[in-house]
Amino acid sequence: MIEIKHLRKEFDDETIPLKDINVTINKGDIISIIGPSGTGKSTLLRCINMLTEPTSGSIIVDGQDITEKGCNLNEVRKKMGMVFQSFNLFGHLTVIENIMNPQITLLGRSRQEAYDKAMYLLDSVGLSSKVFSYPDELSGGQQQRIAIARTLAMDPDIILFDEPTSALDPSMIGEVQSVIKLLAKTGRTMMIVTHEMDFARKISNRILFMYDGEIYEEGTPREIFEHPKKEMTRKFIQRLSSLTYHIDSTEFDLEAMSEELHGYGEKLLIEAERLSKLLLALEEICINNLADYAEGTPDILVKIEYSEKSDILTMTIKYNGNRLDVSSIESKLFRLLLQEPTTSVSDKELENDELGYHHQITMSFRWIEE
Amino acid sequence: MKRLFSVLVVLLTLLSAVGASDIKTLADLDGKNIGVQTAVLYEELIMDKVPHATFQYYTMPNDMILALTSGKVDAYLIEAVSFGVQHKNHPELAVLDEPAGYINATCIIGNNSKKDRLLREINEFIKTSNENGMLSEIYDYWIADFDPDTDTCDVGGFTGENGTISVAVEGGYEPFSFISHGQISGFDVDFICRFARAYGYTPEFFEVPFEAIAPGVETGKYDIGMNIVVSEERNETGTLSDVYYTTPIELVVLGEDDSSAGFFEKLQNSFYKTFIKENRWKLFVQGAVETIVITISSIIAGTVIGFAIYMLCRHGNKVANGATNFLLWLIHGMPTVLLLMILYYIVFGSSRLSGTWVSVVGFSLMFACSMIDMLRVGYNAIGRGQLEASTALGYSDHQSFFRILLPQAAQHFLPIYRNEVVTLIKETSVVGYIAVLDLTKISDLVRSRTYEAFFPLILTAVMYFVIAALMTKAVGWIQNRIDPRRRSHEKILKGIKEWE
Repeated sequence: MIEIKHLRKEFDDETIPLKDINVTINKGDIISIIGPSGTGKSTLLRCINMLTEPTSGSIIVDGQDITEKGCNLNEVRKKMGMVFQSFNLFGHLTVIENIMNPQITLLGRSRQEAYDKAMYLLDSVGLSSKVFSYPDELSGGQQQRIAIARTLAMDPDIILFDEPTSALDPSMIGEVQSVIKLLAKTGRTMMIVTHEMDFARKISNRILFMYDGEIYEEGTPREIFEHPKKEMTRKFIQRLSSLTYHIDSTEFDLEAMSEELHGYGEKLLIEAERLSKLLLALEEICINNLADYAEGTPDILVKIEYSEKSDILTMTIKYNGNRLDVSSIESKLFRLLLQEPTTSVSDKELENDELGYHHQITMSFRWIEE
Repeated sequence: MKRLFSVLVVLLTLLSAVGASDIKTLADLDGKNIGVQTAVLYEELIMDKVPHATFQYYTMPNDMILALTSGKVDAYLIEAVSFGVQHKNHPELAVLDEPAGYINATCIIGNNSKKDRLLREINEFIKTSNENGMLSEIYDYWIADFDPDTDTCDVGGFTGENGTISVAVEGGYEPFSFISHGQISGFDVDFICRFARAYGYTPEFFEVPFEAIAPGVETGKYDIGMNIVVSEERNETGTLSDVYYTTPIELVVLGEDDSSAGFFEKLQNSFYKTFIKENRWKLFVQGAVETIVITISSIIAGTVIGFAIYMLCRHGNKVANGATNFLLWLIHGMPTVLLLMILYYIVFGSSRLSGTWVSVVGFSLMFACSMIDMLRVGYNAIGRGQLEASTALGYSDHQSFFRILLPQAAQHFLPIYRNEVVTLIKETSVVGYIAVLDLTKISDLVRSRTYEAFFPLILTAVMYFVIAALMTKAVGWIQNRIDPRRRSHEKILKGIKEWE
C-alpha cells in the first residue's frame, strides 16, 4: 500500500534525521516506531504525508510517487489521517465543527451528512456531550480523542499517530490508548510513533526500531521486546527502564534529579508516592551519609531501574570507602520506610567490579494496590 | 461623561479669568513670566531691564491672551497695532504706560544676483516715500486707522519690464499681510506693490511662516522678505534695507474689565463669535467631514493595501519581503508630518492631487504598515500546529489561511487594530501642514479671527472624541460579529437536524 525507498532527509543545520529508510506498509498493518529520542521517528512519520519534505528517495502510495513534483498532495493527504502530539484542534471552532468542517470543505459532504458522521464518532470516543465545547475547554485526553474523531471522519486509508500520548497527564494516557486500541481491532492501517513500550507491544503487529536515522531492527513485538537480535536494540530494551547518576560532590543537584525521575515515572506510569520513597532513601543514604562521611570528594554511582513485567522499582548504589550499614541510619522517616513490607534492602561487597567499586546497596520498591 | 463635565468646569474657571494684576511698570515684571511670539525678537527690547524674567514663546499671537488670562504669563509683548484689535475683543486687557520699546521693520534682501540692485532701489524708494509723505500716509491707512473689513490695496498695474520679484510675507498677520476676500492684502503688500509699480517689477507673493522668511530669503529662494525686525544678529547674516516703519511694542497685562458684561453674557458672546458669526459652524462641519473622509479612506485603503502586501509576502518571496521591510522601516521611522510633506512637495509635487488626497495616500501607507505588522503579530500568535493540522487533513494553502489561520489571527490583532484606528484619527490633526482644512486647522483659523480659545478648542476636542468613539464602536462591532465564540448554538448547526 505504501512503499518507502531510500528515503533521506537532511535539515538545513546539517543534521540528518533520516539516512536511508526502506519499508513497505501493507494494508491492515499496525506499525509502532520505537527508538531513542532524536533518531528520526517523527520525521519519518511526517515524511509519509509530506509535512516534512524528504531530501531524496521515494514514497509510493497506491502506485504514485508522492515526492514527485506535480503530485496533488492535498488529495493524497485526504487519504492519510494524522494525529499530533499536541492535538492541534482548530481553536476557533467548536468540537462538532472541528469534525464537520473538514468533511464539508474537503470531501464535499452535506452539512447533515457531516454532522451525522461527527456525532457517530463523538459517541464512539465517548464525548457526545461536548458538541459545543471549544478545544481549550477540554482536557488533553478529551482533545486528543476529538482529534482522533476528526481524523476518522475523513475515512482515511491510513492513520499516522505522532506520539499521541506524550503531551498528556499520566491519568489521561489510558483513555486515549483505549480509543486507539479499539481502532486497532477494526483492521485499520496505522503507524504509531510512541514511547509507551507496553502500549506498542500490545497494539502492533510490527515494530520498527529506529536508531541513528535508519530502521535498525524490525520484527514482531515478541521478536523485538523479548528476543532482540542486534546490540543497540538490546541495549535500548534494557535501558528502557533505567537511569544512572554519578554523585561526585556534596552539592549534588537533587532537585534536577528529582525532576527527571518524575518525568521518567510519568512515562512508565510509576506512582508518584513510590518515587518519593525512592528519593527519600537516595537522599538519606547517598547525600546525608555516604557523601557526608566520604574523605575528599564522594564517588557514588546510583542506578535506578524499573521492570514493567514484575512491577519492581530498584535502586542500586555503588560506592567506595568505609562500608555503610543502612540499618544504622538514624532518620526516623527512613527507618519507617525500611519497615514497610513493600520495601526491601540488601547490601554486599563487590569483587572485581568492572568500574572498581567495593560496596553495593540495593533497595527495591514494590507497589501493592489497596 | 462625569470626567468630561469636570474638564468643562476647569475650563470655564479659566475662561472667567484671574483678577486685574498689580503690575504697573516694567520693573514690576522682573522675575515674572512674559509671553512673546516666536521669532519676532521683541524680548530683546526689555531683556536688560528685567534680567530675571522668563520668556515663554507662542506661535499664535492670540494664544498669548489665553496664557495671560489663565495666569501662565504675567504679561506679553505685542505690537501696538495688534493690541488694538485684541483689545476690542478683550476689554479686560491693558497696556503699561511705557512701551517696551520700538521696533524698526526693514526688508531683507535675497541673497542672489538681484541683491545689490534691489537694495539700492528699495532704499531709494523708502527715502523718497518718507520725503513725500507716502509712507506715513499708508501707515495711517493700514495701521493707525486700520479697518479689517474695508481696507483694500491695489495689487495691479505692474509693467514687469524689469522682471518678476518674489516676495515672502507672513500672510496671517493683520494688518501687515493677510488674506482679505481671497486676496493678499495689508501694509507690507501695499508697500511692495507701490515699489514694484515705481521700478517696473511684477511682484509675486508667497505666504511663509515668520520663522521661515529670513532663512528662505538668505538661501536666495525669495528676493525680498518683509517685516524683518532689526537686530544685531540679523544684520550680520542678512542684507537689510533701511527702516520702512516704526511701531511701539506694548506690554499687555490684565487691567480692570470695565465692560459690564456678566459671565454668561461673555460666554454667549464668545459662543456667538465662534459659531454663529459668518456661519462659522459650517467651517467646523467642513473640517470634521474632512477629518472623517481622510480617516475612513485611509483605514479602508490601508487595510486593503496592508493585507495585499502581507499576502504577497506570506510565502517568503525574497523580493516582496525585502521591499516590504524597507517600506515598513522607512514609513515607521518617519514623523507623520515629514511623510506628508515629502509626499506633498516632492512625490506629488508636480501633480494636481489635492492635500486631502495626498493625506489619504500618506495615512493609507502608514496604516498599511501597521496592518502588515498586525497580521504578522496575529499570525505568529497562533501556533504552527494549526497550519500543520489543516495541511495534514488536506486543506490547500489558500483554504488553510482563510478558514483556519485568519479567523484565529483576527481575534489576536483586532484589539490592536482598534487602537491603531484611534491613533490614526488623532494623527490626522497634522494635515494642516499641507494645506488641508481639517478639524484642527479650522479650529486654528477660527481662533485667529475671534481671539477666543475656549469654544474652538473644546468643540474640536469633543468632535475628535466623538469621531474616535464612533470608529472604535464600529471596529468593536465587527470584532464581535466575527468572533467565533459569540455564535449561538443554533447558528453553528444551522440547517441541521440535531441528534437527541
